[in-house]
Amino acid sequence: MISQDLNDRITRIGPKAPAGAVLRRYWQPAALAEELAHGDHVPVNLLGERLVLLRDDDGDLVLATRIASTDEPPAFYPDAKDIEIDKSGPVYPVENRKGLFFAYMGSGTPPEFPNFDCFRAPDSHVFAFKGLWECNWLQALEIGIDPAHASFLHRFLEDEDTSEGYGKQFRDKAADTNIPMTQILREYPRPSIEVEETDFGLKITALRALDNGQTHVRVTNQIFPEAICIPMSREMTITQWHVPIDDETCYWYTMFTSFQNPVNKDLMREQRLKEHRLPDYAPLKNRTNDYHFDPAEQATTTYTGMGLDINVHDQWAVEGMGSIQDRTQEHLGRSDAAIIRYRRMLRAAISAVEDGGDDLPMRGAMTPSEIVGPLSNDAIADSADWLNASQQADMARRAECPWDATV
Amino acid sequence: MPRTENTPQIYLSEDAAHWVVVAKGAELDIPRPVIPVTLHGQRLVLFRDDEGKLGLIGRNCPHRGADLCFGRLEDNGLRCPFHGWHFDRNGQCVEQPAEPEDSMMYQQIKVPMIPVVERDGEILAYIGEGTPAPEPKEGATK
Repeated sequence: MISQDLNDRITRIGPKAPAGAVLRRYWQPAALAEELAHGDHVPVNLLGERLVLLRDDDGDLVLATRIASTDEPPAFYPDAKDIEIDKSGPVYPVENRKGLFFAYMGSGTPPEFPNFDCFRAPDSHVFAFKGLWECNWLQALEIGIDPAHASFLHRFLEDEDTSEGYGKQFRDKAADTNIPMTQILREYPRPSIEVEETDFGLKITALRALDNGQTHVRVTNQIFPEAICIPMSREMTITQWHVPIDDETCYWYTMFTSFQNPVNKDLMREQRLKEHRLPDYAPLKNRTNDYHFDPAEQATTTYTGMGLDINVHDQWAVEGMGSIQDRTQEHLGRSDAAIIRYRRMLRAAISAVEDGGDDLPMRGAMTPSEIVGPLSNDAIADSADWLNASQQADMARRAECPWDATV
Repeated sequence: MPRTENTPQIYLSEDAAHWVVVAKGAELDIPRPVIPVTLHGQRLVLFRDDEGKLGLIGRNCPHRGADLCFGRLEDNGLRCPFHGWHFDRNGQCVEQPAEPEDSMMYQQIKVPMIPVVERDGEILAYIGEGTPAPEPKEGATK
């Protein structure tokens, strides 16, 4: 449990809020390139500000301020022709990375981008998408740095054919075995979790000791301040930001990055457009329709009764906590080790920025372009050799990769 | 399951002013008897366990706040789908299956519990501090 004051301090992100000041020290996903189809003025609602993506007089894409009524819904998406620019408002620089527009809303010179796989891979190997969640960004992030929940929230009571799993989380085989990932998660629900601070955030290792003297090693990462990088299948990773629209609403933005083969973007988009509406990328399953909860399915097929799309499970979990999770009532356990560690980093960063400092992950004295990876994969190895095996599995994948993924 | 939130009626009985009707028993005559109840602003979940007994407990899991109205009704209690924390009808946590095998943390975890009784097809909850007043007599609503 934490105090209400501390909960406010680590969750609220408006222009004057301390955590908002930390997030403004980093490039923030602001819009998908495909949103330019909306017209030459794309509404962007970001960090409590009402903005618009447009080309300035030099032809550069920027975020400008737009005039908005105070009762606009959080993810309001007006037609391009109805957008009025507030010329007195701030203008922020924008960069396109693999079909995702990032904005820098802080003071001073924007930092360099880190050299993560999602930024290094060619356009053909990265697919970006987004979706709306109606809750505070921090609880959305925290589910992504909680390796234990996958054994419950995403449990399938029966395993599907893994050959049908392209483009879907946890639907591949585990590492180089014939065991479906869903079976590992279901049968070994008590991972031992190791958390290690890194240049970019946290390396989180979930170890599941199997019955045969082997260990399943799953490495995921927290990328400061509000992203994660996790394996999706043997071929792809997910780099996902949980970007505040305001204090009570956020977008997830994901860069799906493939090592070996180009991403089948048409299929990936088609899968996700079946679950979302345009133009605001709101999920079709949501609080207003109980996420299509089916008690019969919950009894026989899935742990939640909300279908096979794990994004819906996550969305239910974080939206059900309330618009801002009441952390004065929480009870964290050993499975929450990474959450506890992350909050410590965030609090340190908030204090550093308040004191006028810049000693933050990937800032200050650090050179972001030298930060590569991160290692993000599943491996199964003899229990005594798990660390080495995890690194070797990652190195092997990188060595075979057609683009430069060396670390 | 999730239903339109009802406004409890005050239970009209001279010796049981603190018992209020929160649901009709028939509302739980469904394959998965779990429904939300809001009582004086407090968000709760009402369920019938495998023994047929009622539990009225806090709606948000005390772990990280997930909504127990979508919980798994199994093992004679309600299980949070987020991490499998399992609660009996008294709101006591009885299992934390993601925590280490030797963890005793669950013993310290309890969700708020509101005493309930079933009378004349109605489910009544006791509101107020301390030990519940004597249970309302059968037929007291007539």
